[in-house]
Amino acid sequence: MFYPATSALVIKQPSVALTLLFPLVLSLAIAMPALAATAVISNERSGDLVFMDAVGETTDVIKLCNRPRGMAQHKSTNSLYVACSDDGNVIEFNLDNKQPARLFAELPGAMSVAIHESSNRLFVTNEGAAKATVLDIASGNVLATLPTGHEPDGVALTEDGSLIFIASENAGIVHVYDGINYQPRQEIITNLRPRRLTIRNQELWVSSEMGSRVEIFNTENLQKIDEIVFAPRGFRSEQLTPVDILFDASGDTAFVALGSANHVVIIDAVKREILKYILVGRRPWGLGLTPDGKRLFVLNGLSDDVTIINLDTRRPVKTSRTGLVPHSVEIIE
Amino acid sequence: MLRYVFLTLSLLISTTALSASFEITVVTLENETRQQDGQSFAGITVQPQRPVIRAVELALYESATLFDTLGIDATIQQLSLQPESSIEQQLQSVPHSSLLILDLPPTIMEQAAEIADQLQMIAFNVRNSDDYLRESLCLPHVFHAIPSDRMYFDALGQFLIHRGWRKVLLVQGPSERDIQRASSLVASLKKFGITIVDQRTFTLSHHPDDRDKNKPEFLTGGVSYDVVAVIDSKKDYGRYLQYSTRSARPVVGDVGLTPVSWHFALERYGAPQLNERYRQFLDNEPLGAQVAMTDAEFAAWSAVKLITNSINTRGRQANLDLLSVLTDPLSQVDLYKGTRGSIRHWNHQLRQPVLLATPDTVIAVAPMPKFLHPKHYVDTLGIDEPESDCQLSR
Repeated sequence: MFYPATSALVIKQPSVALTLLFPLVLSLAIAMPALAATAVISNERSGDLVFMDAVGETTDVIKLCNRPRGMAQHKSTNSLYVACSDDGNVIEFNLDNKQPARLFAELPGAMSVAIHESSNRLFVTNEGAAKATVLDIASGNVLATLPTGHEPDGVALTEDGSLIFIASENAGIVHVYDGINYQPRQEIITNLRPRRLTIRNQELWVSSEMGSRVEIFNTENLQKIDEIVFAPRGFRSEQLTPVDILFDASGDTAFVALGSANHVVIIDAVKREILKYILVGRRPWGLGLTPDGKRLFVLNGLSDDVTIINLDTRRPVKTSRTGLVPHSVEIIE
Repeated sequence: MLRYVFLTLSLLISTTALSASFEITVVTLENETRQQDGQSFAGITVQPQRPVIRAVELALYESATLFDTLGIDATIQQLSLQPESSIEQQLQSVPHSSLLILDLPPTIMEQAAEIADQLQMIAFNVRNSDDYLRESLCLPHVFHAIPSDRMYFDALGQFLIHRGWRKVLLVQGPSERDIQRASSLVASLKKFGITIVDQRTFTLSHHPDDRDKNKPEFLTGGVSYDVVAVIDSKKDYGRYLQYSTRSARPVVGDVGLTPVSWHFALERYGAPQLNERYRQFLDNEPLGAQVAMTDAEFAAWSAVKLITNSINTRGRQANLDLLSVLTDPLSQVDLYKGTRGSIRHWNHQLRQPVLLATPDTVIAVAPMPKFLHPKHYVDTLGIDEPESDCQLSR
């Protein structure tokens, strides 16, 4: 698939899907208020984006690229940045017209992406190339190439953009870079196979997939504060492979997808206490939360579906079909 | 003969450095005619064999980021043993703190491991799956990174039960090794409640008098079975049983569906990245698309990565004293097989999942679902602690 590298695509189409689905959306809105959100799911194997409403009905399927994985939203431009791993590029996807708008090329093994909106920068980990790339979104220019260990996956930034954290799965290291001058700050040694990074207050939470735990580091002094080791009933520690971590808007509640254990866990992030393990589909990785904080989308990579959890009751309310090997989900309003 | 192949991976010394050195010695046999191992009649290679050093180099290549951070200086050297000279003297010629990777055939490996243990040098068996070595080499300084035959066959037994293929016709070769391995397979199959409907021996002869032993249709006839299990350590007959059995049944064991510890087509657990790295990390020696580490190479890679990963799991303040690393239950290794590996304290075997694979596909990863163990997820594979004659931790 080819998209022009810098100029925006301007083809417009009437939004047929939205028109057709309007009565359905309306009726559901009456039954369940505040469910206007849409989930966008990247599917590694079918190479598409699935658009789904908050009750799990698919509204659109858009073929995009080879092996779309990590995604990030740019809210002020209503764009979604999607890493196309097997194509080695990142696509800027316009959420208004559901069309690809631009292509950031030459990003081999693009895996995870992060956006820093106020500085308009895009951060991409390059899985096979042991590096991460920082791009200026406006110009498309590469601002920096940051060496990492092998298999870099998650990338996260402090809110002010002053520090960049990149997890290298193979090395068992989170590389910390200065977000302004891109100089290396420090290496944080983690447990086995660090995957995803999320920041709340001054805490960096790192999932250790093969260490079966989440490790928590202080983002100021980069020292380890604590760790949460998972142990749902009936499981051995080595079967728990946490990947995605997500906080609610307040940052007080965390959700972690436990991979091979087929569960997602809800954590009191302040007390660092496990509140509940919830059984989902096979190998959950990707997580998304509706803006009202009421519904958690859990992507089950090996059963090609999404489990939607009602967070008031903490129970799954619906399982819906996705594309093949769903990877990441972003919730848009 | 001591040959330095690869020196000083890391020179960066940071302020938080362990400032340790990590020396690896790959021990091979001078002039070993390795190519004969994997070859069958007419020069056809049925089991590619390679020296394990490439996999050791890969493990250090992967470890470089962490070692640089900590100021650990890693080196590899190769010791090519001359069988006529004293093994003890030759082992004493390498640094005493070396991790010895024994890339040696069984008899000389056994000798070298015993001497290494006497010298209190840490040695890893990476090439020999024979069960008897887990008992004869029940020694405090000796470790086994390649799965034992019982681990391989337990994986196969679990797979057969999982599929509901409970009646097995066992066909085996006549060699001493075939007889030993067939008895390991029988023990594994019985452990999981599989019925062996008959046990037959093949011969390579084409003579009409032997046709009940050399014609697949006869060798596999006259009895009802769900699957044919073949023990053919040299792979010089079993290949011909596939698609020639009297009943249309799958063939498993040393041909067909085979238990292995590594595979080029494993598509989960990050394995494609590891396979890609193995093929590409030496700029001047890239390997073809379907080339992957052999089980011996994977074992050598695992042994080195266990030391590296122990820094992640035990904490950076811990030292790199090999014996304390390897006997610490906190030492674990990311094996790219979905479950981390670690050392069984009773017989120093590296516990790990086993793949059930055909030449082009990974069909399953054992332990299979519903095979549960009271202590450790993967300890349904292999001789368990209460059954083992080797009790190193007592």
